[in-house]
Amino acid sequence: MAKTFSLEIVATDRIFYKGECEHLVITAIDGLLGILAGHEPLVTALPAGELKYMVDGKWRYAAISDGFIQVMPDKSVILADSCELPEEIDIKRAEEARERAQEKLRQKQSIQEYYQTQAALNRAMNRLKVSQKHFK
Amino acid sequence: MPNMREIRERIESIKQILKITNAMYLMSSSKLKKARKSLEATEPYFYKLQETIESVLEHTPHTRQMYFDRRSSIPPEKRKKGYIVITADKGLCGSYNHNILKYTEQELAKSADISNCYLFIIGQVGRQYFNNRNRNSSKASVDGEFLYTTQNPTLYRAMEIAQLVLDKFESGELDEVYVLYTDMVTSNLQETRTVQLLPFERRHFGKAQDGTMKKLPKASFLPSPEEVMSHLIPNYAKGIIYGAMVEAFCCEQQSRMTAMDAATTSAKDMIKDLSLLYNRARQAAITQEITEVCGGAASLNK
Repeated sequence: MAKTFSLEIVATDRIFYKGECEHLVITAIDGLLGILAGHEPLVTALPAGELKYMVDGKWRYAAISDGFIQVMPDKSVILADSCELPEEIDIKRAEEARERAQEKLRQKQSIQEYYQTQAALNRAMNRLKVSQKHFK
Repeated sequence: MPNMREIRERIESIKQILKITNAMYLMSSSKLKKARKSLEATEPYFYKLQETIESVLEHTPHTRQMYFDRRSSIPPEKRKKGYIVITADKGLCGSYNHNILKYTEQELAKSADISNCYLFIIGQVGRQYFNNRNRNSSKASVDGEFLYTTQNPTLYRAMEIAQLVLDKFESGELDEVYVLYTDMVTSNLQETRTVQLLPFERRHFGKAQDGTMKKLPKASFLPSPEEVMSHLIPNYAKGIIYGAMVEAFCCEQQSRMTAMDAATTSAKDMIKDLSLLYNRARQAAITQEITEVCGGAASLNK
């Protein structure tokens, strides 16, 4: 049995996961990051991306949108706006969101609007990617 | 003894009001159920966020990040303060609106120069209240383009609000930002509260219970503390605003429900009292009529 550390994933609408975890892989702002038990203290921000964690030798996947992670010697905490299992993702809704965002990007927007739309597009694409990869 | 017709009309009108208050009671109780559910879902995030930020800041090395900028070059009384105030969109919810407005007034009164205060009001009632006040005398300025509703708070709305105040802070239009909202302590106890959003104050955090600074190992920040903070703080602001909005909405529904319940009960009491009065008046009228008839008959027999 691999060494475990306690992991807590909290989304704005629920506690997504709370328990032991053997291995955690997250998408941080500058790339993938793997975390095992006994990782050094670390704080980093998470953009919309894929997340996987291993419980009892099995990988579990989730799609998360903006948040951050705090890794402490005894536990790790991920706080995110939303966190979904691949099977929970509403593909139709995500596709609609993607199209809406793409449509908006073609129009003239202020810089702020542009960033917001781009963020929305990223979230939608990420949802689609995760659900297509792990849930068929 | 009041007129019978008057009493009847009064009873009728009370019955009409009773119908309205009762309908509002039912509506707010079903809305409250929904709001409670979302509050329960959000609360763990809200508290965890505060707790985690606190512990993150304990491990943060000193940074020159702009959100930490305390604007020490500006004297305290000259600093522009922004207040995000969460009120209801409608009235008829007991003392809920009154409490938060009064609380806001108190907060505003604390600052040395009220013309340096900027209000961002979520909810129709507060907006109207402060707009009316402003017409009378020069007071804190209300952002007229800040139009957000309190109904069914969404993360997206919170994000927009957070973005707006962060932009204003960055550009120097605001030097301090506070959120004023009503917190649901228990289902019967509500409390108005202030949370300081910006600048990010480390002295709120980073102190142990006994007041001494904790010595903690520095955590590493990827890619750099500044970079992480510039992501983390907008996220934090969004989370705090969203949490406050959810709390306030739940409080609003709760107080509306209580107020409408009380109104319905007292309407029923009034109807009871008035019908008693009505019956008495009717009885008196009948008695009088009989006396008159008897009197008339007796005078004929003479």
